Amino acid sequence: MARMKFLCDADRCIECNACVTACKNENEVPWGINRRRVVTINDGKPGERSISMACMHCTDAPCAAVCPVDCFYVTVDKVVLHSKDLCIGCGYCFYACPFGAPQYPKVGNFGSRGKMDKCTFCAGGPEADLSPAEFQKYGSNRLAEGKLPLCAEMCSTKSLLAGDGDIIAKIYKERVVKRGYGSGAWGWKTAYKETVAI
Amino acid sequence: MSEKTTKQALDRRGFLKVASLGSAAAAASVAPGLVTPAQAYNPGNEETKGRYRETDHVKAFYRTNSY
Repeated sequence: MARMKFLCDADRCIECNACVTACKNENEVPWGINRRRVVTINDGKPGERSISMACMHCTDAPCAAVCPVDCFYVTVDKVVLHSKDLCIGCGYCFYACPFGAPQYPKVGNFGSRGKMDKCTFCAGGPEADLSPAEFQKYGSNRLAEGKLPLCAEMCSTKSLLAGDGDIIAKIYKERVVKRGYGSGAWGWKTAYKETVAI
Repeated sequence: MSEKTTKQALDRRGFLKVASLGSAAAAASVAPGLVTPAQAYNPGNEETKGRYRETDHVKAFYRTNSY
């Protein structure tokens, strides 16, 4: 059975933020929430790298482990989804997630968080597939349409990969072999030490 | 402390004693059959079914990302 995964090729990401914009538009994500974001390290310095981050749909998801109302569930495709009807907006998943994926709309007064929102791998939610209720709560369900998450599909440098984990791992391995340098090459640091920059 | 205020204080304590006894009795009188254990959310097969299909669209994505 296919296992859905994201993989960001940090050597290709140019920090254009098109994935962020595409996600917001496709899923009509509310104000204040970014289901996906681009993180840049060593910004403006040699060796700068950017990586597009969202929910990584963990195998043993820490968000699901800490949820007091157990609103998370995993599909057969291993996509981690949640029910907004059950979510109480406690924020535990936000603290547990190592990627900062769970977001809150912060609606209402007195600092209430509102229902948690996160990347669904464009797989909707517990409502009926492609129903208006599903779209309103969770955004589009591209997987049910026979497509992949839009963030990956419209990546201009083809940095962000999404889909069957085995297939995208194979694609990435082929890229590494062709590239044959830097972070893409196994044993680069052993052979050339840290002093050789690319 | 005057005699009047002492009496008022005793009345208040008496009321609190009766109230606490009453609430304890109410808690004990809940029928065991009405207490249901908390249940985790159990999504149905329809919600967790696999939606991913290797359509031509998806195959085109894999093909164009292979270089």
